[in-house]
Amino acid sequence: MSIVEVRDLKKQYDPPKGVVAVDGVSFAIAEGEIFSLLGPNGAGKSTTISMLSCLLRPSGGDATIAGHSVTSDAQAVKALIGVVPQDIALYPDMSARENLVFWGRMYGLSGAELHRRVDEVLELITLTDRQKDRVEKYSGGMKRRVNIGVALLHKPKVLYLDEPTVGIDPQSRRSILDGILALRDQGMTILYTTHYMAEAQELSDRVGIVDRGRMIATGTHEELVKTIGEEAHVELRVDHGLEAMVERWRGVAGVTDASLNEEHAVLLVHDADQVLPRLFEAAAAAGSRITEINVTEPNLEMVFLHLTGRALRE
Amino acid sequence: MRRVFAIAFKDLRSTYRNIPALAMMLAAPLALSALLGFAFGGSSGYSVAATKVAVVNLDTAPAQGSQTPAAGAAIVDILQSPDLKDLLTVSEKASAQAARTSVDDGEDVVAVIIPEDLSSAIFGIDAAAPQTAAVELYQNPTQGIGDAIVQSVVGQSLLAFNGARAAAVAAQGVATANGDADGAGTAAQKAAAAFVHRSEGSSRTLAVASRAPDLRGGRAAKQVGITGLVLAGMMIFFMFFGASNVARTILTEERDGTLPRLFTTPATRSSILGGKFTSTFLTVLVQAVIIIVCGRLFFGIDWGALDAVALLILVAAAVAASLGLFVISLVRTPAQAGAIGAGVYLVLALLGGNFTGTAQSGTTYATVQRFTPNGWLLVGWNEILRGGGIGDIVRALLIPLAFAVVFFAVAVWRFRKRFA
Repeated sequence: MSIVEVRDLKKQYDPPKGVVAVDGVSFAIAEGEIFSLLGPNGAGKSTTISMLSCLLRPSGGDATIAGHSVTSDAQAVKALIGVVPQDIALYPDMSARENLVFWGRMYGLSGAELHRRVDEVLELITLTDRQKDRVEKYSGGMKRRVNIGVALLHKPKVLYLDEPTVGIDPQSRRSILDGILALRDQGMTILYTTHYMAEAQELSDRVGIVDRGRMIATGTHEELVKTIGEEAHVELRVDHGLEAMVERWRGVAGVTDASLNEEHAVLLVHDADQVLPRLFEAAAAAGSRITEINVTEPNLEMVFLHLTGRALRE
Repeated sequence: MRRVFAIAFKDLRSTYRNIPALAMMLAAPLALSALLGFAFGGSSGYSVAATKVAVVNLDTAPAQGSQTPAAGAAIVDILQSPDLKDLLTVSEKASAQAARTSVDDGEDVVAVIIPEDLSSAIFGIDAAAPQTAAVELYQNPTQGIGDAIVQSVVGQSLLAFNGARAAAVAAQGVATANGDADGAGTAAQKAAAAFVHRSEGSSRTLAVASRAPDLRGGRAAKQVGITGLVLAGMMIFFMFFGASNVARTILTEERDGTLPRLFTTPATRSSILGGKFTSTFLTVLVQAVIIIVCGRLFFGIDWGALDAVALLILVAAAVAASLGLFVISLVRTPAQAGAIGAGVYLVLALLGGNFTGTAQSGTTYATVQRFTPNGWLLVGWNEILRGGGIGDIVRALLIPLAFAVVFFAVAVWRFRKRFA
């Protein structure tokens, strides 16, 4: 059963001639699922989240969160969602605890329940020891964790995360991604936006690919990859005789296509694990030595490229 | 309401952690008022420093036995009279040059040089050959008040002597008409002397007495100190700035993302704006109370009836808070708020009389003052500093309150449109 349903959502700034940031986006998110919106910068991901957060009024369409409309029942929606904005939205001259207490009050928590919940969140984001330090003294990763913690205070039904790992170190990113997976395992429904294919692949139960305000594909990772076939992309260089090798490799079992691209041979292969040894054998038989090899399994970036003709990050 | 107070408390905490802002809100008005009060002679009323006068009397003394007074000596006596000792500090110089030099060197403000023929010019009553003489005032042009006082005193004295001359001429004419040509001169001298002596009594009444109009109910107004008036004006001015600092957080929160985040919580726009108004109001209220207490403790200012003071502070805080929100609703960024807000508050302060603390009446400036909320607040402060009560400041409370309501209503309307 879908807890989030988005139907033909639209947003145009300064109509009638203004920019159409979101142009009829539709998708649904099942309860307890992580759904990622994957797309390049300017695709409309943040605008979609803003409409689902009741921050922006849609120009058309509607969305419901647990049956409550974002256009007509915004107060009920706000009580059900937790929003982690892309930029840090905390009060820097207040400590982590003071921030959490304040935001907890905004979510309607009070008294002993509020303070107990703040203690839980501090433990969840592993900042109990630094809770009394002002946020302005935190590292970027620590600020991100408090930024996420604020959205968890009231135990929302649906959590929105708008590119939460932008600009942070790999260790902090890893920590955040693990935390998100743990929340999903506890039953939380998560809408995650990113332009990092690897994050979408790792985290998501399903992915929606957006570009220029439109949803161009939705599905699981496997379903999306299947749309472009299951062939791996292999690039090779040899010490000599590259052109002849391309012809040889074209005839190797499992190779569906072989072409020459400047100083590389580019092959599409089924089941790279099986085909790679044959490629080495063919090269050895021809007296050539493979000096460079690069294997790329089918991924969402290739899906995006296939669907739009552009790279995910241009 | 909980959210309103949570937002207000959060802003108050931020404000009181901002040391530079606190210095601006609290230390600046107290320091400025202390300086201005010191410049104007302290808290015990208006006072002007005594003007230093150099006088040289070159007048030829009348012959022994003559009944005519020495005009020059009379003028010197008047300048040195006890009635004028608070206004003039007189030193006699040996020569006109010495007197002028003392002014040139800055030792004295004005030199009074009495010519040698003053008495004979005044009391030489040959109508066929009238004489004139001039008392020279050599003065420092940068000292406006002091030399004006001296000019006034000397002028009054000369008027008296001219009156004496007129009396002498008249007496001579009467004697001659009565056939007593030989006694005409004596009659003239007697008439002149009598006139001068009669005038002496009035020439001594040169003290300046100030008196304020009575308050309603016929109660006598108490003397108002300059420091109290200035501090009242400064307090209102800096309350405007204090309010703007807090109100500006709406824009900084919009820029920093915490305001949009607030909009994603169940907190309504009304509660967010209510919280901002409450924090602004409480901030400037505390600011005013601290300034009032410090004014009492450090400058000995008697602010007046406690209930009237309390009401005036509350209304002033409401005006400052609503004005702050109104200005913020007109701009887009914190930088704009700083620049435009400063301009607005400065113009209001100049028009409202905040820098002198005076609430004038009967002038064009007084009319202009009444078009500002701070001008009316100053009217109220003037009343209660002079001993007035709530009954004396009803208009000074209601009119600024009306301003506050209008400012707040416009601010709410603009914010609703902007954050729809």
